[in-house]
Amino acid sequence: MSKDRREPNELVERLAQAEAALDALRRGEVDLVVGPDALRVVRLKPLVEENERLAREWRTTFDAVKDAIFVLDADQRILRCNRAAEKLFERPGEELLGKHCWEIVHGTAEPIPECPILRMRQSLQRETMDLSIGDRWFEVEVDPILDAKNRLTGAVNIISDITERKKAEKERAVLHEQLQQAQKLESIGRLAGGVAHDFNNILSVILGYGDILLGKLHQQDPMRDEVREIVTAGRRAEALIRQLLAFSRKQTLQPQVLDLNEQVRNLEKMLRRLIGEDIALDLALAEDLPPVLFDPGQLDQVIINLAVNSRDAMPKGGKLLIETSAVELDKAYAAAHTGASPGEYVLLAVTDTGCGMDKETAEKIFEPFFTTKEKGKGTGLGLSTVYGIVKQSGGNIWVYSEPGKGTTFKIYLPQTEEKQKTREKIVASQEISGGEHILVVEDEESVRNLIKSALTRLGYSVTLAANGGEALLLVEEKGLKPDLVITDVVMPNMGGKELIDRLRRTYPGLGALFMSGYTDNAIVHHGVLDQDTPFIQKPFTLQELGRKVHEVLASKPS
Amino acid sequence: MSDKSTQSPAGRASGAPFYRLRLFVAGDEPNSVQARHVLTRLCEAHLGGRCAIEIVDVCEDFHAAIEHGIYLVPALKVESPPPARTIVGSLSDEAKVLHALGIAGKGVEP
Repeated sequence: MSKDRREPNELVERLAQAEAALDALRRGEVDLVVGPDALRVVRLKPLVEENERLAREWRTTFDAVKDAIFVLDADQRILRCNRAAEKLFERPGEELLGKHCWEIVHGTAEPIPECPILRMRQSLQRETMDLSIGDRWFEVEVDPILDAKNRLTGAVNIISDITERKKAEKERAVLHEQLQQAQKLESIGRLAGGVAHDFNNILSVILGYGDILLGKLHQQDPMRDEVREIVTAGRRAEALIRQLLAFSRKQTLQPQVLDLNEQVRNLEKMLRRLIGEDIALDLALAEDLPPVLFDPGQLDQVIINLAVNSRDAMPKGGKLLIETSAVELDKAYAAAHTGASPGEYVLLAVTDTGCGMDKETAEKIFEPFFTTKEKGKGTGLGLSTVYGIVKQSGGNIWVYSEPGKGTTFKIYLPQTEEKQKTREKIVASQEISGGEHILVVEDEESVRNLIKSALTRLGYSVTLAANGGEALLLVEEKGLKPDLVITDVVMPNMGGKELIDRLRRTYPGLGALFMSGYTDNAIVHHGVLDQDTPFIQKPFTLQELGRKVHEVLASKPS
Repeated sequence: MSDKSTQSPAGRASGAPFYRLRLFVAGDEPNSVQARHVLTRLCEAHLGGRCAIEIVDVCEDFHAAIEHGIYLVPALKVESPPPARTIVGSLSDEAKVLHALGIAGKGVEP
């Protein structure tokens, strides 16, 4: 020991004593501080304990917050951090303290340009930014710490995990997009349906009188070719209108209980011819597939349209896969897909290995007249028809595609518990009139007159009514007793179905044949007539009308 | 009020220093109670009868504290052997107390 240490000077001794006294104070080992008089005696222990308790409480609270928090000084150095911050940045607190926040949060040597603290220095109020770290999203909120003179002395930096919120926002955006898409298709459909309805009536007149004119012209008449051209063009227009109606879900469906597998197998041969030799057709049909309720003709059209679409996407050949399976869609699926409801479905998936498409194309693919094919090669109605048919039948359709990889269409059709009926074969019948009396109820005068003209030519006696009220008057008041009533489904004031129901109160066995360009949901539930209801779709040829009238009359109980 | 207690004078003959200690306490405040216990134990264990302890309760006689320059209580004033020293606190760090008394505690450097 040196001489200096053995004889410490007084100042050093006093400082050492003061330090020891402070140390005792810090440790809470002092009970009293003695003042100049007895009344100034202060009890320190409870104060120290209270201080410790508050410090513990603050720390516990600070650590209980699940968001990462940094308390920063004016230079953005970390003064304090909570446990969530240690966990988020995978470093113990002592390694974080004293570091600049940008080193820890961004791993950079200086603040990033969009740093909210830079903005906060100007605004002196809360600033925020969204930040991605790894595969998670965070919101960074920075609040200033100001002194009494409103000078910035530090900041509180709160980093909250908003990954779930971001995910939900993204899902909402997707749903919103789907909804917008569905609404767009719905409004296009309504427009197309309205146009198609009026066109059908016009076409009925053109085709009807065209047929009548053809019948009247001599076989050698040079005008026959011209008239036939008119009729052929009318037929093409008719086919287009049918597709538009299908898209707008306004066509009349006659659903049956179907085995989807059987339907696909029946089409297999035809599909192979349709897609050509360069494309291999694979069927993967699930066993024991539950039945669905679907119009068989429409289902064929759906499958054929999808196959044609796939074929056109594979000009150099490829593979076409048609799959069926029973699936259950849960609530989560339904929540993520606009228009889908949870339940048991039969899935029909059509996949090709063709050119695929980008997101923008896939969004428009069900719109009528949208086509990626060259001019003249496609009408742009194929997939819109599929969309309309599936939707009208209570199903859903989704497309999944990637450019260069191929496309999958997934159609979910609700399972049915109804039993499959044996399909009766329609026996071809001859259209010979027995002079029966037919009451025609149609609000369009030109169509009404056309039908009268056609039926009269076939040898029937015809009475016309412009609406349901007129028809009721004829039957109930004037005692008209028709063998058959041909009525439009959609008419003002009283629809065809209501009319027939009323007339059958007078004549229970009265024969009825419904006709329509489209059906109205308010009159016929979802545009679907009963499976056995006689129906003829406008526009029709005179032959079709004659055949149908004969069929109904022949099946009528005598 | 002061309590004076003198340990057995037997040790005086041995030539070992005799300790005159004054412990300032604040009634039954926890640190003061602890300081009293610790000091009694240390004296019995290390000093035998070679000490006289005076306990001063500052709550009853704060002037004594002022006279002795004691501002923080509890405090132990070692009046002899010289040099005079004061240890503030509950004396919970026994090694430090022994060191201040000039007695090397177990595992503690002198």
